[in-house]
Amino acid sequence: MDLRVIENLETELSIEVQGEDHTFMNVLKGALLEVDGVTTATYDMNPEQSGGQTDPVVTLKTDGSIDPLDALEAGAAGVKTKADAFAESFESAA
Amino acid sequence: MSDQYDVTFIEQDERSAKFLVRGITPAFANGIRRAMIADVPTLSVDTVRVIENSSVMFDEQIALRLGLIPLTTPDDYRPEETVTLAIDVEGPATAYSGDLVSSDAKVQPAEEHVPIIDLKEGQRLELEADAELGYGKDHAKHQGGVAVGYRHLQRVELGDERGEFAEDDPEIIRGVIEDAGASETSRAAGDGGELVETASFDNDLGNRYPDRNVSVEDVPNAFVFDVETDGSMSVDDLVLSAVESLRTRADELEDAVQL
Repeated sequence: MDLRVIENLETELSIEVQGEDHTFMNVLKGALLEVDGVTTATYDMNPEQSGGQTDPVVTLKTDGSIDPLDALEAGAAGVKTKADAFAESFESAA
Repeated sequence: MSDQYDVTFIEQDERSAKFLVRGITPAFANGIRRAMIADVPTLSVDTVRVIENSSVMFDEQIALRLGLIPLTTPDDYRPEETVTLAIDVEGPATAYSGDLVSSDAKVQPAEEHVPIIDLKEGQRLELEADAELGYGKDHAKHQGGVAVGYRHLQRVELGDERGEFAEDDPEIIRGVIEDAGASETSRAAGDGGELVETASFDNDLGNRYPDRNVSVEDVPNAFVFDVETDGSMSVDDLVLSAVESLRTRADELEDAVQL
Protein backbone atom coordinates (compact mmCIF):
# COMPACT_ATOMS: atom_id res chain seq x y z
CA MET A 1 0.00 0.00 0.00
CA ASP A 2 1.59 3.27 -1.15
CA LEU A 3 0.91 6.53 0.60
CA ARG A 4 1.42 10.06 -0.68
CA VAL A 5 1.35 12.87 1.85
CA ILE A 6 -0.49 15.88 0.51
CA GLU A 7 -0.46 18.01 3.62
CA ASN A 8 1.12 17.38 7.00
CA LEU A 9 0.54 20.10 9.58
CA GLU A 10 0.67 20.07 13.34
CA THR A 11 -2.95 19.11 13.79
CA GLU A 12 -3.99 18.24 10.27
CA LEU A 13 -3.07 15.55 7.77
CA SER A 14 -4.12 14.79 4.20
CA ILE A 15 -2.80 11.61 2.72
CA GLU A 16 -3.53 9.71 -0.46
CA VAL A 17 -3.93 5.96 -0.07
CA GLN A 18 -3.23 4.37 -3.43
CA GLY A 19 -5.18 1.41 -4.68
CA GLU A 20 -7.90 1.43 -2.02
CA ASP A 21 -11.64 1.93 -2.37
CA HIS A 22 -14.67 2.58 -0.18
CA THR A 23 -14.46 -0.89 1.35
CA PHE A 24 -11.39 -0.11 3.40
CA MET A 25 -11.51 3.71 3.55
CA ASN A 26 -14.90 3.89 5.23
CA VAL A 27 -13.89 1.31 7.81
CA LEU A 28 -10.69 3.28 8.43
CA LYS A 29 -12.61 6.53 8.76
CA GLY A 30 -14.92 4.92 11.29
CA ALA A 31 -11.95 3.66 13.30
CA LEU A 32 -10.17 7.05 13.13
CA LEU A 33 -13.18 8.77 14.67
CA GLU A 34 -12.85 6.45 17.65
CA VAL A 35 -9.21 7.43 18.27
CA ASP A 36 -8.78 9.80 21.24
CA GLY A 37 -7.74 13.28 20.14
CA VAL A 38 -9.11 13.01 16.60
CA THR A 39 -11.73 15.68 16.04
CA THR A 40 -12.43 15.18 12.34
CA ALA A 41 -11.81 12.33 9.94
CA THR A 42 -13.10 11.89 6.44
CA TYR A 43 -12.09 10.61 3.06
CA ASP A 44 -12.81 11.72 -0.46
CA MET A 45 -12.83 9.62 -3.56
CA ASN A 46 -13.83 10.44 -7.10
CA PRO A 47 -15.29 8.15 -9.74
CA GLU A 48 -13.14 6.70 -12.49
CA GLN A 49 -14.87 8.86 -15.11
CA SER A 50 -13.93 12.12 -13.38
CA GLY A 51 -10.43 11.84 -14.81
CA GLY A 52 -9.04 13.57 -11.75
CA GLN A 53 -8.04 12.40 -8.30
CA THR A 54 -9.41 8.86 -8.26
CA ASP A 55 -7.38 7.45 -5.39
CA PRO A 56 -8.95 8.14 -2.00
CA VAL A 57 -7.59 10.97 0.13
CA VAL A 58 -8.06 10.67 3.87
CA THR A 59 -8.07 13.90 5.85
CA LEU A 60 -7.99 14.13 9.61
CA LYS A 61 -7.75 16.85 12.21
CA THR A 62 -6.70 16.44 15.81
CA ASP A 63 -7.09 18.59 18.92
CA GLY A 64 -3.30 18.79 19.31
CA SER A 65 -2.95 16.04 21.89
CA ILE A 66 -1.83 13.52 19.27
CA ASP A 67 0.31 13.77 16.15
CA PRO A 68 -1.91 13.21 13.09
CA LEU A 69 0.40 10.50 11.72
CA ASP A 70 0.26 8.66 15.05
CA ALA A 71 -3.51 9.01 14.94
CA LEU A 72 -3.58 7.39 11.50
CA GLU A 73 -1.45 4.56 12.80
CA ALA A 74 -3.76 4.16 15.78
CA GLY A 75 -6.72 4.12 13.38
CA ALA A 76 -5.16 1.30 11.36
CA ALA A 77 -4.45 -0.57 14.59
CA GLY A 78 -8.09 -0.01 15.54
CA VAL A 79 -9.25 -1.70 12.33
CA LYS A 80 -6.99 -4.66 13.11
CA THR A 81 -8.40 -4.94 16.63
CA LYS A 82 -11.94 -4.83 15.26
CA ALA A 83 -11.13 -7.47 12.63
CA ASP A 84 -9.55 -9.78 15.20
CA ALA A 85 -12.41 -9.33 17.64
CA PHE A 86 -14.98 -9.99 14.94
CA ALA A 87 -13.21 -13.09 13.62
CA GLU A 88 -12.95 -14.44 17.14
CA SER A 89 -16.64 -13.87 17.98
CA PHE A 90 -17.69 -15.28 14.61
CA GLU A 91 -15.60 -18.42 14.97
CA SER A 92 -16.87 -19.13 18.46
CA ALA A 93 -20.48 -18.70 17.31
CA ALA A 94 -20.11 -20.72 14.11
CA MET B 1 -12.96 1.55 22.16
CA SER B 2 -15.25 -1.26 23.01
CA ASP B 3 -14.59 -4.05 20.54
CA GLN B 4 -16.86 -6.70 21.88
CA TYR B 5 -18.96 -8.33 19.24
CA ASP B 6 -21.76 -10.72 19.90
CA VAL B 7 -22.54 -13.09 17.04
CA THR B 8 -25.67 -15.26 17.04
CA PHE B 9 -26.58 -17.58 14.18
CA ILE B 10 -30.20 -17.60 13.14
CA GLU B 11 -29.80 -19.93 10.18
CA GLN B 12 -26.70 -21.85 9.25
CA ASP B 13 -26.02 -23.99 6.21
CA GLU B 14 -22.97 -24.74 4.16
CA ARG B 15 -23.86 -22.22 1.46
CA SER B 16 -26.14 -19.78 3.18
CA ALA B 17 -26.46 -18.34 6.63
CA LYS B 18 -28.16 -15.63 8.59
CA PHE B 19 -26.49 -14.25 11.66
CA LEU B 20 -26.93 -11.37 14.04
CA VAL B 21 -23.97 -9.23 15.08
CA ARG B 22 -24.33 -6.85 18.00
CA GLY B 23 -21.96 -4.01 18.78
CA ILE B 24 -20.84 -3.43 15.18
CA THR B 25 -20.64 0.02 13.60
CA PRO B 26 -22.40 0.58 10.27
CA ALA B 27 -19.02 1.40 8.68
CA PHE B 28 -17.47 -1.90 9.72
CA ALA B 29 -20.57 -3.89 8.79
CA ASN B 30 -20.54 -2.39 5.31
CA GLY B 31 -16.81 -2.97 5.00
CA ILE B 32 -17.32 -6.66 5.68
CA ARG B 33 -20.22 -6.84 3.23
CA ARG B 34 -18.26 -5.16 0.47
CA ALA B 35 -15.19 -7.29 1.14
CA MET B 36 -17.28 -10.47 0.88
CA ILE B 37 -18.50 -9.45 -2.57
CA ALA B 38 -15.40 -7.94 -4.13
CA ASP B 39 -12.29 -8.88 -2.20
CA VAL B 40 -12.47 -12.61 -1.56
CA PRO B 41 -10.85 -14.36 -4.53
CA THR B 42 -12.35 -17.44 -6.17
CA LEU B 43 -11.29 -19.69 -9.04
CA SER B 44 -13.05 -19.25 -12.37
CA VAL B 45 -12.33 -20.33 -15.92
CA ASP B 46 -10.45 -17.51 -17.62
CA THR B 47 -8.67 -18.94 -20.68
CA VAL B 48 -10.03 -21.62 -23.00
CA ARG B 49 -8.15 -23.70 -25.59
CA VAL B 50 -10.70 -25.11 -27.98
CA ILE B 51 -9.85 -28.41 -29.64
CA GLU B 52 -13.16 -28.99 -31.30
CA ASN B 53 -16.34 -26.99 -31.10
CA SER B 54 -18.94 -28.00 -33.64
CA SER B 55 -21.82 -26.88 -31.43
CA VAL B 56 -24.17 -24.06 -32.38
CA MET B 57 -22.40 -21.57 -30.13
CA PHE B 58 -19.25 -19.59 -30.85
CA ASP B 59 -16.11 -20.39 -28.84
CA GLU B 60 -16.46 -17.05 -27.02
CA GLN B 61 -19.96 -17.83 -25.86
CA ILE B 62 -18.88 -21.22 -24.55
CA ALA B 63 -15.94 -19.55 -22.80
CA LEU B 64 -18.24 -17.06 -21.07
CA ARG B 65 -20.54 -19.84 -19.92
CA LEU B 66 -17.59 -21.82 -18.57
CA GLY B 67 -16.40 -18.74 -16.68
CA LEU B 68 -19.70 -18.46 -14.85
CA ILE B 69 -19.55 -22.01 -13.45
CA PRO B 70 -18.59 -21.77 -9.77
CA LEU B 71 -15.56 -23.88 -8.83
CA THR B 72 -14.67 -24.98 -5.34
CA THR B 73 -11.73 -22.91 -4.20
CA PRO B 74 -9.27 -24.38 -1.68
CA ASP B 75 -7.57 -21.72 0.42
CA ASP B 76 -4.00 -22.61 -0.64
CA TYR B 77 -4.30 -20.97 -4.05
CA ARG B 78 -2.55 -17.67 -4.66
CA PRO B 79 -3.58 -15.01 -7.21
CA GLU B 80 -2.51 -15.84 -10.77
CA GLU B 81 -2.24 -19.56 -10.02
CA THR B 82 -4.14 -21.69 -12.51
CA VAL B 83 -5.76 -25.09 -12.65
CA THR B 84 -6.71 -26.85 -15.87
CA LEU B 85 -10.09 -28.42 -16.57
CA ALA B 86 -10.92 -30.50 -19.60
CA ILE B 87 -14.22 -31.47 -21.18
CA ASP B 88 -15.07 -33.83 -24.01
CA VAL B 89 -18.73 -34.44 -24.85
CA GLU B 90 -20.15 -35.79 -28.07
CA GLY B 91 -23.76 -35.34 -29.18
CA PRO B 92 -26.52 -36.14 -28.94
CA ALA B 93 -26.12 -35.05 -25.31
CA THR B 94 -26.04 -32.02 -23.10
CA ALA B 95 -22.64 -30.95 -21.81
CA TYR B 96 -22.95 -30.26 -18.09
CA SER B 97 -20.53 -28.64 -15.67
CA GLY B 98 -20.19 -32.09 -14.09
CA ASP B 99 -18.50 -33.32 -17.28
CA LEU B 100 -15.49 -31.11 -16.56
CA VAL B 101 -12.44 -33.07 -15.46
CA SER B 102 -10.14 -31.14 -13.19
CA SER B 103 -6.38 -31.54 -12.82
CA ASP B 104 -6.72 -30.80 -9.11
CA ALA B 105 -9.10 -33.03 -7.16
CA LYS B 106 -9.84 -30.21 -4.75
CA VAL B 107 -11.03 -27.93 -7.55
CA GLN B 108 -14.35 -29.17 -8.86
CA PRO B 109 -17.49 -27.55 -10.23
CA ALA B 110 -19.54 -26.55 -7.17
CA GLU B 111 -22.69 -27.50 -9.06
CA GLU B 112 -22.78 -30.58 -11.30
CA HIS B 113 -25.90 -29.76 -13.25
CA VAL B 114 -25.13 -26.44 -14.91
CA PRO B 115 -25.87 -26.95 -18.62
CA ILE B 116 -23.11 -25.64 -20.88
CA ILE B 117 -24.58 -26.49 -24.25
CA ASP B 118 -27.04 -28.89 -25.82
CA LEU B 119 -25.29 -30.94 -28.52
CA LYS B 120 -27.15 -32.56 -31.41
CA GLU B 121 -26.16 -35.63 -33.40
CA GLY B 122 -22.64 -35.24 -34.79
CA GLN B 123 -21.79 -32.16 -32.73
CA ARG B 124 -18.91 -32.23 -30.33
CA LEU B 125 -17.30 -30.07 -27.67
CA GLU B 126 -13.72 -30.76 -26.68
CA LEU B 127 -11.60 -28.19 -24.95
CA GLU B 128 -9.20 -27.36 -22.15
CA ALA B 129 -9.88 -24.47 -19.80
CA ASP B 130 -7.56 -22.72 -17.39
CA ALA B 131 -9.18 -21.45 -14.21
CA GLU B 132 -7.54 -18.53 -12.48
CA LEU B 133 -7.84 -17.07 -9.02
CA GLY B 134 -9.36 -13.61 -9.33
CA TYR B 135 -11.31 -10.95 -7.47
CA GLY B 136 -14.98 -10.03 -7.64
CA LYS B 137 -14.11 -6.41 -8.25
CA ASP B 138 -12.47 -7.38 -11.55
CA HIS B 139 -15.15 -9.74 -12.84
CA ALA B 140 -18.46 -10.95 -11.40
CA LYS B 141 -17.49 -14.56 -12.13
CA HIS B 142 -14.97 -14.30 -9.30
CA GLN B 143 -17.57 -13.26 -6.72
CA GLY B 144 -17.70 -15.76 -3.89
CA GLY B 145 -20.69 -14.12 -2.21
CA VAL B 146 -23.65 -13.91 -4.55
CA ALA B 147 -26.31 -12.56 -2.20
CA VAL B 148 -24.76 -10.69 0.68
CA GLY B 149 -26.58 -8.07 2.67
CA TYR B 150 -27.55 -6.89 6.09
CA ARG B 151 -30.43 -5.21 7.82
CA HIS B 152 -30.94 -3.59 11.15
CA LEU B 153 -32.28 -5.79 13.87
CA GLN B 154 -35.74 -4.40 14.68
CA ARG B 155 -37.17 -4.24 18.15
CA VAL B 156 -40.87 -4.71 18.64
CA GLU B 157 -42.53 -3.24 21.71
CA LEU B 158 -46.13 -3.85 22.57
CA GLY B 159 -48.34 -0.84 23.17
CA ASP B 160 -51.95 -0.46 24.22
CA GLU B 161 -54.76 -2.66 23.26
CA ARG B 162 -56.14 -1.86 19.80
CA GLY B 163 -59.55 -0.31 19.66
CA GLU B 164 -62.36 -2.60 18.62
CA PHE B 165 -63.07 -0.59 15.47
CA ALA B 166 -59.46 0.36 14.62
CA GLU B 167 -58.31 0.18 11.01
CA ASP B 168 -57.21 -3.29 10.10
CA ASP B 169 -54.12 -2.28 8.12
CA PRO B 170 -51.27 -4.76 7.85
CA GLU B 171 -48.00 -3.82 9.54
CA ILE B 172 -45.43 -5.24 7.16
CA ILE B 173 -41.86 -5.66 8.34
CA ARG B 174 -39.07 -7.82 7.00
CA GLY B 175 -35.94 -9.29 8.47
CA VAL B 176 -35.51 -10.36 12.04
CA ILE B 177 -37.21 -8.85 15.06
CA GLU B 178 -36.23 -8.78 18.66
CA ASP B 179 -39.56 -9.41 20.27
CA ALA B 180 -39.71 -7.59 23.57
CA GLY B 181 -43.38 -8.42 23.87
CA ALA B 182 -42.91 -12.17 23.77
CA SER B 183 -42.37 -12.50 27.47
CA GLU B 184 -42.83 -9.98 30.23
CA THR B 185 -39.96 -11.47 32.19
CA SER B 186 -37.37 -10.87 29.47
CA ARG B 187 -38.53 -7.27 29.26
CA ALA B 188 -38.22 -6.85 32.99
CA ALA B 189 -34.75 -8.36 32.91
CA GLY B 190 -33.80 -5.73 30.34
CA ASP B 191 -32.48 -8.20 27.80
CA GLY B 192 -33.51 -8.10 24.19
CA GLY B 193 -36.16 -10.75 23.99
CA GLU B 194 -36.73 -13.54 21.57
CA LEU B 195 -35.29 -13.35 18.04
CA VAL B 196 -38.00 -14.09 15.50
CA GLU B 197 -37.81 -14.14 11.73
CA THR B 198 -40.59 -12.07 10.22
CA ALA B 199 -41.25 -14.78 7.64
CA SER B 200 -42.59 -16.96 10.46
CA PHE B 201 -45.64 -14.67 10.73
CA ASP B 202 -45.86 -13.82 7.03
CA ASN B 203 -44.04 -10.48 7.51
CA ASP B 204 -47.16 -8.95 9.02
CA LEU B 205 -47.04 -7.97 12.68
CA GLY B 206 -50.83 -7.81 12.54
CA ASN B 207 -50.84 -11.60 12.33
CA ARG B 208 -48.64 -11.96 15.40
CA TYR B 209 -50.34 -9.33 17.56
CA PRO B 210 -53.85 -8.86 16.20
CA ASP B 211 -55.17 -7.03 19.26
CA ARG B 212 -52.28 -4.80 20.26
CA ASN B 213 -50.66 -1.64 19.01
CA VAL B 214 -46.99 -2.22 18.35
CA SER B 215 -44.01 0.04 17.88
CA VAL B 216 -41.00 -0.99 15.81
CA GLU B 217 -37.58 0.60 15.99
CA ASP B 218 -34.10 -0.26 14.77
CA VAL B 219 -31.66 -1.51 17.38
CA PRO B 220 -28.50 0.61 17.16
CA ASN B 221 -25.35 -1.22 16.04
CA ALA B 222 -27.11 -4.56 15.67
CA PHE B 223 -27.19 -5.98 12.16
CA VAL B 224 -28.55 -9.18 10.73
CA PHE B 225 -26.32 -10.43 7.91
CA ASP B 226 -27.73 -12.63 5.21
CA VAL B 227 -24.93 -14.34 3.31
CA GLU B 228 -25.19 -16.73 0.41
CA THR B 229 -22.19 -18.09 -1.48
CA ASP B 230 -21.97 -19.55 -4.98
CA GLY B 231 -20.58 -22.79 -3.58
CA SER B 232 -16.93 -22.00 -4.15
CA MET B 233 -16.47 -21.86 -0.38
CA SER B 234 -18.49 -22.15 2.79
CA VAL B 235 -20.14 -19.14 4.40
CA ASP B 236 -17.71 -19.33 7.32
CA ASP B 237 -14.71 -19.23 5.01
CA LEU B 238 -16.19 -16.34 3.05
CA VAL B 239 -16.87 -14.20 6.12
CA LEU B 240 -13.52 -14.95 7.72
CA SER B 241 -11.61 -14.30 4.46
CA ALA B 242 -13.42 -10.98 4.08
CA VAL B 243 -12.48 -9.92 7.59
CA GLU B 244 -8.94 -11.13 7.00
CA SER B 245 -8.68 -9.03 3.83
CA LEU B 246 -9.67 -5.90 5.81
CA ARG B 247 -7.14 -6.81 8.48
CA THR B 248 -4.37 -7.28 5.92
CA ARG B 249 -5.00 -3.84 4.50
CA ALA B 250 -4.99 -2.24 7.95
CA ASP B 251 -1.71 -4.00 8.61
CA GLU B 252 -0.21 -2.69 5.37
CA LEU B 253 -1.34 0.82 6.20
CA GLU B 254 0.17 0.61 9.67
CA ASP B 255 3.48 -0.53 8.20
CA ALA B 256 3.40 2.19 5.55
CA VAL B 257 2.76 4.91 8.15
CA GLN B 258 5.57 3.69 10.38
CA LEU B 259 8.14 4.03 7.60
